Amino acid sequence: MSDDSRLPAVEIQGLRKVYQQIIAVDDISLVTYRGEAFGFLGPNGAGKSTVVKILTGLVAPTKGTVRVLGQPVNHVQIRRQVGYLPEFPSFHRWLKARDFLEFHGRLFGLKRTMLEKRIGEVLARVGLAGRENQKLSTFSKGMLQRIGLAQAIINKPDLVILDELVSGLDPVGQRDMRELLRELKAEGTSIFLNSHLLADVEAICDRVAIINQGRILKVGAPAELFDKKKVLEVRVDHVSEELLSRLHTVALDIQHGDDDPCYLLIEIERDEQAADIADIIHAYGARLYTLAPRQVSLEQIFFQTIDALA
Amino acid sequence: MGLLLITRFTIQEAFHRWLLLAMLLLNILLLAVFALMLNAAYSNQLAHAPSQSNPQLFLLEFDLIISILSVWAAYLLSGAMTIVLSINMTSGEIEGGTFSVIVSKPLHRAEIIFGKWLGFALILCVYTAMLFFTFLGLIYWRTGYFPENALAALGMLELSTLVLLALTTLGSTLFPTLVNGAIVIMLFIGAPLASFVQLISTTPGATAQNISTIVNLVIPTDALWHGASYYLIPSFLYSILQQRGVLSDLNTPFTSIQPLSPALFTWAILYCIVLPIIGVIRFQRRDL
Repeated sequence: MSDDSRLPAVEIQGLRKVYQQIIAVDDISLVTYRGEAFGFLGPNGAGKSTVVKILTGLVAPTKGTVRVLGQPVNHVQIRRQVGYLPEFPSFHRWLKARDFLEFHGRLFGLKRTMLEKRIGEVLARVGLAGRENQKLSTFSKGMLQRIGLAQAIINKPDLVILDELVSGLDPVGQRDMRELLRELKAEGTSIFLNSHLLADVEAICDRVAIINQGRILKVGAPAELFDKKKVLEVRVDHVSEELLSRLHTVALDIQHGDDDPCYLLIEIERDEQAADIADIIHAYGARLYTLAPRQVSLEQIFFQTIDALA
Repeated sequence: MGLLLITRFTIQEAFHRWLLLAMLLLNILLLAVFALMLNAAYSNQLAHAPSQSNPQLFLLEFDLIISILSVWAAYLLSGAMTIVLSINMTSGEIEGGTFSVIVSKPLHRAEIIFGKWLGFALILCVYTAMLFFTFLGLIYWRTGYFPENALAALGMLELSTLVLLALTTLGSTLFPTLVNGAIVIMLFIGAPLASFVQLISTTPGATAQNISTIVNLVIPTDALWHGASYYLIPSFLYSILQQRGVLSDLNTPFTSIQPLSPALFTWAILYCIVLPIIGVIRFQRRDL
């Protein structure tokens, strides 16, 4: 991170947004810092996009203050340093890729010589080199996402705000975009990533806020944030009350998995306790067929976290 | 700077839309048909011109009628083009989602609306002038007649175009495209009704006059057309008809024997300024 890494990139204080009588965002406060990649994670309808739209000046808050790079969000000049890609980017599709980037570059105030240089650079960066003269109307959804990101970074912004970056991208595209964001972050660009995909925020973000029903439930580093339980899948030849009783001396919790009485899900506190589990089973005289850590999807962890916090 | 960028972009976009091209092609077709019909009608008129009485006055009547009708056609075409081209000026961008990446750029929302307004105003004013001069040019080519106050008439038509544009600009920030279109078309078509009512009522009273005034305040396009028609009639003709006591014969739903009143002229200019400003204020407060 750069020297000014403790300077705020985004400051939100007591933010509230009400559409008619529907509360989209309810008393949100958070700070992200320069050079930090910050993930905003939540299910659809959680209020993520509303916050992003407020950050980009598209929506006015009902209450609260929002500052971007130290300035109020309605400060026009500060937007020269902010790039934004909406969730479902819709562009003037009659434009060619070059003309599209030239128009948006000019809106950022870039001069002709700089523009020429930047158009080539960003097209190459988002994987669209050689597509300069192709009309956007012939672009696939993934290519539109890429050109959308290109317009967001053409001004070399200090802060990039991205709303669901990888929607519409194939796995290769998703990997490329994540790699590109990592590069931007390495260059010192602050990133505010709105996503419902845990893989995105885990791969890119330093910190994550979980939002649900318009409220922030938790903020922290991804590794700390999700309460990943250590669960072992254990299969033995037979199970008795005595064996379960012995296992309970080590295990935090034991559950029967599936319909097989000999298949157990054993929650432990530390990894090395797996060996204790094996010893207990051997000492009891049972045959151990399986002892493996249980694979839990990130989505499952996310929803467990939301349920636990809610 | 941002304003001019948006203006340039608006003009570029208009030329990339098939709509403008289709309208222009149809106009060329229409003008070609008009030229053929004018040629045939004028030849016929020449053949039937009375030899003993004043043939020049006879031909002037033809020149005058054809000039007024063709400029009226230019007024209608210009109005149609204004509505079709600018009806989704703001609402279309909002509905299409294309504003998200533009409004978030370092420019004021007012620059976006005024920039688009300026772009459309330039296109439409040039279009109106081209139509106007093409119609009158064809008439001049065939008959040798050209209204002495043509520029004043054109000024009225241009103002009428800008009035309509001001209305679509405001409506486009307030309503969805379809609703805006319905409102503007109804007003544009409905505006001459006040003139018709005044004509058919033998003794137009205060109520008819008040209704006409209100209609002209809500949508001054018809009043501006009447103002334009006044300048299409040669000034000497007014004198002759006044001497003969038949000047009121020129007071029809399509023509006027009086220029646009200064008050209505001022109102039309204010209309062109105030409505887009209200549109900007509305757009500045609108969530996208």
